[in-house]
Amino acid sequence: MKKLLLTALLASGTIVSAQQYLTREARLSFDAGSPLEDIEAFTESGSAVFDASSGKIGVQVLMTSFQFKRALMQEHFNENYVESEKFPKASFKGTYNEGEVTGELTVHGVTKEISVPATLKEENENFVLTTAFDIILAEYNVEIPSAVADKISKTASIQVQATLKSVGK
Amino acid sequence: MRRLCLIVFLSLSVFVAKAQEDLFDLLDEGPEPTQITYATFKGTKLLNAQTNETPGKGVLQYIISHRFGSFTDEYLYNFFGLDIAQIRMQLDYGISDRLNVGIGRSSVLKTSDAFVKYRALRQKTGGNAFPISLTLYSSMNYRGARFNDGLDHYISDRLSYHHQAIFSRKMNENLSLIVAPSVVHWNLVPSPGDPNDTYHLLLGGRHKVTKRIALTGEYAFSSNRRYGSGATEERFHNPLSVGVDIETGGHVFQFHLSNTRAMSDPLWMAQNPYSAANGSLFLGFNISRVFTVRQ
Repeated sequence: MKKLLLTALLASGTIVSAQQYLTREARLSFDAGSPLEDIEAFTESGSAVFDASSGKIGVQVLMTSFQFKRALMQEHFNENYVESEKFPKASFKGTYNEGEVTGELTVHGVTKEISVPATLKEENENFVLTTAFDIILAEYNVEIPSAVADKISKTASIQVQATLKSVGK
Repeated sequence: MRRLCLIVFLSLSVFVAKAQEDLFDLLDEGPEPTQITYATFKGTKLLNAQTNETPGKGVLQYIISHRFGSFTDEYLYNFFGLDIAQIRMQLDYGISDRLNVGIGRSSVLKTSDAFVKYRALRQKTGGNAFPISLTLYSSMNYRGARFNDGLDHYISDRLSYHHQAIFSRKMNENLSLIVAPSVVHWNLVPSPGDPNDTYHLLLGGRHKVTKRIALTGEYAFSSNRRYGSGATEERFHNPLSVGVDIETGGHVFQFHLSNTRAMSDPLWMAQNPYSAANGSLFLGFNISRVFTVRQ
């Protein structure tokens, strides 16, 4: 009986850890530019987690980690648009199910329910997440002053690419 | 034994459930990243003084500044002081994200200047936190105006220098402060008893009132406020300025009220003849525009 208990304990331990996948090097990029102005940024330090048994998936990124081509644009992004000091992170918490992720996206302190196409493929014991979707900036209370309204797109096209490795390996 | 089994089973199920909840906690774990503090100030200048900021790498900046006539100097006759405005133009470039060089021309005493500015230390938060920024700044100034003392002068007589260590800290999202000790060196002073080196301590700050508007102020103490004696005595006053910063995209507009009119460093800092108490207050502005010339 003791052996059985021990086996059960060990088994449950391995199950819990083996089914979780994690990366801290997720690549996220966005494009909110217009014909008048290129507004693009990317980061390769996003975090992503996935639980293969429940299908739960989470992605999180530090807003100040986004790199722009121009230092001033990066400063304005953090200071005036997404207010990184008040709202340091953007995150998605939801579930993956057959080519789609559904859950809560939080940007600029505003949380919205979204459902967007995504692929999650198992490759060499890792999971590779890829998704691309648009968000409407006004829905997340990101204000665009009228003086620059024709330079900045009303939507941001977001791309996520992440290779998640098994936790504990 | 059966009870034990039950306990183990229950605790395991709790364990599993907890693991599920903790999945998203994994996102927050891991080493805390170090972040360089950005936008301590909106501009590379506070009012007359420099801030810790420099333009980014490959950024060319143009600043045009005016100081209008005082309220006590035939204000309406001089069309609100506009007719007797003093002007300064500055062009500078970010060689790297830390190194900035520039040139300027001011109308008071027809002064040309060249400066170099370097961010030696940067404030950081997170893993490798560091509490303050230190930017080093030096300017060399050339007096273009003729001397009217009837003597022949060397070119070196026309030169003066300003060397400054700018300590700054972004206290929070809205409040940023500067403490900047500096030395001004004059190659030529009016009389033998006058010091060639004067020491200064500048205090300054800004407080944001909206995302794009901030109130600013600066004041500097001087080690020496008098040159010459008797009939040739000149008295100087500590520079005091208050203003407002308005930022719109690539421009920063800075409007202010100050007891200074000269804009080359040694003149406004060490030899400011105007006293606010005597009503010598001047409206002025700096407008900057940046161009990204190399990405």
